[in-house]
Amino acid sequence: MKRLILSALFALFWISLSLAAGHQYALGVDGLACPFCAYGIEKRLSAIEGVEKVEIDIAKGRAVVTLREGASLSEAAARQAVKEAGFTLGSFARLPEEQ
Amino acid sequence: MMHRCYPALLHTAIGLLGTLSAASGAPLTFNTALPVGKGEFVFREQFVFIKSGDDPGPADREVEVLGAVSVLGYGINENLALFGVLPYLDKELEVTPDGERITRETNGIGDFTVFGRYTVFRDDAPGRTFRIAPFAGLKTPTGEDDERDRFGRLPPPIQLGSGSWDPFAGVVVTYQTLAFQIDAQASYEITTEANDFEFGDVARIDGSLQYRLWPRELGGGVPGFLYGIVEANLVYQDESEIDGIEDPDSGGLTLFLTPGLQYVTRRWIVEGGVQVPVVQDLNGEALENDFVVRAGFRFNF
Repeated sequence: MKRLILSALFALFWISLSLAAGHQYALGVDGLACPFCAYGIEKRLSAIEGVEKVEIDIAKGRAVVTLREGASLSEAAARQAVKEAGFTLGSFARLPEEQ
Repeated sequence: MMHRCYPALLHTAIGLLGTLSAASGAPLTFNTALPVGKGEFVFREQFVFIKSGDDPGPADREVEVLGAVSVLGYGINENLALFGVLPYLDKELEVTPDGERITRETNGIGDFTVFGRYTVFRDDAPGRTFRIAPFAGLKTPTGEDDERDRFGRLPPPIQLGSGSWDPFAGVVVTYQTLAFQIDAQASYEITTEANDFEFGDVARIDGSLQYRLWPRELGGGVPGFLYGIVEANLVYQDESEIDGIEDPDSGGLTLFLTPGLQYVTRRWIVEGGVQVPVVQDLNGEALENDFVVRAGFRFNF
């Protein structure tokens, strides 16, 4: 019984975290082809107000940006950040909300 | 003529200690056109061991140099990056001038080099980039150039610095994909006179291939890459001048080949290789290079 309660609490914790997180955006980063370059992109994107997390997938040339609740990300801001890191924004899309 | 015939490439900005870049994925022995992002710092430390011997003259000269070359790069914006290069050097010369073997040595900070690099062309696509970036800089005389020992003043190539202000310029081209990277560079350094001595100007052409050995297949995230490296450096140095007169036992052409390995992660790089002179067409009794060992690390912040 104790185990069941703990599992339920853990599940509730994760659900609350998911609900608290804001929107996610997928950014195609053209020119990204080595791991050391990825840090510069992370750094510039993380400096945008409202950005909570940046995850890069180098094989896909993609950065997934997670925002804090209530924050938003414009394509212009993303383009500028990627440009300042020395790369080119190839695509910009808001990801569907997690169910 | 104790000032003659030593490996003068030690004292040029684009020579053996030269324009190492701190940028992403740079080759072991020269620069790259890959970016240093705006506001980003990259630090590189490279340990260098240079051995020169195989003296064609009767003095049986041998020179060993141990260096720690520190490079700091900073991105002013997405196209312009500034680099500072400061070597710490430990130099030792063994020579038999008059039948007796003697050792002359010194150590300390060498000549500081500063240069800027500007990306003039960039073609980015998913998983690859092509860039062209000219660069220009100046080697400054921060190293001691009047070191003496009980035999008198050390020969200019054994001094920590040249005493001269030497400008240089070049262009580097980089093509990088997820599987490999090719860099090519052409550069020229104009050396100037100091203490009635002038090292010869240096022209060099460099090429580098970095091939991803591991992981063979890319998964998600940002995995570390292990690259195998092969680099080539074709270096021509003009003759040195002593009191305005060319030294016939200095300068010449050297082709180095450098096999190496580089492990690249998101925040740091470790790398190493051995620079082997495969062709040395040097003037007169100029001292040949035996090999150069390079190993180091980089990190960004």
